[in-house]
Amino acid sequence: MTSDLHDRLAAEHVLGLLEGAEQDLAEALLAEDPAFARLVEDWRGRLAELDATAAPEAPPPALWSRIEAGLEDRRPVETTPSPAAPRRPAERPSLWNCASFWRPLGLAAAAASLVLAVALGVTVERAGRAPALVTVMLSADNRPAAVVNTYPDGRTELVPLTQVPVPEGKSLQVWTLWDRERGPVSVGLLDALRSIELGLSSLPAPAVDQLFEITLEPEGGSPTGRPTGPILMKGTANRAL
Amino acid sequence: MSLRASPQPVPTPDGGSDFAAALARCAAGDGAALRSLYDRLAPRMLGVALRLVRRRDLAEEVVHDTFLAIWEKAAGFDPARGRADTWMFAILRHRALNVLRGEARNDLVDDFEPLGLADDGPDAEAIVAALSEAGALRRCLERLDPVRRQAVVLAYTHGLSHGELAGRLGQPLGTVKSWIRRGLLVLRECLA
Repeated sequence: MTSDLHDRLAAEHVLGLLEGAEQDLAEALLAEDPAFARLVEDWRGRLAELDATAAPEAPPPALWSRIEAGLEDRRPVETTPSPAAPRRPAERPSLWNCASFWRPLGLAAAAASLVLAVALGVTVERAGRAPALVTVMLSADNRPAAVVNTYPDGRTELVPLTQVPVPEGKSLQVWTLWDRERGPVSVGLLDALRSIELGLSSLPAPAVDQLFEITLEPEGGSPTGRPTGPILMKGTANRAL
Repeated sequence: MSLRASPQPVPTPDGGSDFAAALARCAAGDGAALRSLYDRLAPRMLGVALRLVRRRDLAEEVVHDTFLAIWEKAAGFDPARGRADTWMFAILRHRALNVLRGEARNDLVDDFEPLGLADDGPDAEAIVAALSEAGALRRCLERLDPVRRQAVVLAYTHGLSHGELAGRLGQPLGTVKSWIRRGLLVLRECLA
């Protein structure tokens, strides 16, 4: 059981598909558990050939100069051998302060939760930050244009899948509709299609079949508080499995 | 997306130990060793990073950060635990995926469409076709259903998340997750 779970975690870690708690768990295991590190190494080896299918690109000469300039600020330091779960260097120049790169903080907590999870026989899937509801918004020509993910804690985010041209003097407005009596409610206003967290916190928790849509509105949003412009994309919420 | 008719060969074990020796010299503070790694790996790394993050400036930044990380962590590389080239590409992929998932997300979407990603089917198949015909990975990927193959290949090569794959393949998230899991099980058995 555990080895199947670990193999899946290792494979999805190498694919880059893990998020949230599962990602923290994989990085903690990678640092602490040599057997798991071997599973990861095996998957890296299996898939490495795919990297060779990317067409090589000549780097600009300035790139090496910048790297060389960066070397002066740092000396090699002793670290643990895992590239994916690096230790914090003794000195941390600004580039290295990026939390999303190093993610060191969650490791101890993740390791602790792993012990608990194994002890209790709890599957780690539940701890993952998988969305509870997913809405795929389709454009007028029925192509997936954006995804709305609603997480178990109610947080709802918009993730675009395409570029949408926004004319000068216009805005994109995100609406949701769960009650025909109440009508559509604005949950976001954008000058360009990009990832944002939608403002649903004061509304009832989203439910299956709730409608999301994006319309083109005058800059600053619809003057009437209801959609007035063309619908650029829309979709209804599905329960994530 | 343009793919070379014949991909770069996977480094031989000899190349791997060569890389390991260069890393040991980096750990001892030999800048020329890092330069030799850069000369041999930077074009391939830039190609991999560009395919993942899609923007040239970001891809160059990923390669930049990767070589500084190689320099700084070279002493931590342990040849007993794996290959040196795999270790260095893991750093690159980790960095690129963090760029994709995190800090530059908002900028990236603007460039999503013009790079031909809207039409992923042929792209994933072209990547598989670029794998060595003699290689086990190609043979095993070809055993998967086309949709599962596409999901696995796009996740690895373009860094698409489960949600993005669901959107692109027009399938529920759960379906895509199970495709990937099933696909990985088949791959593991086939490649064993």
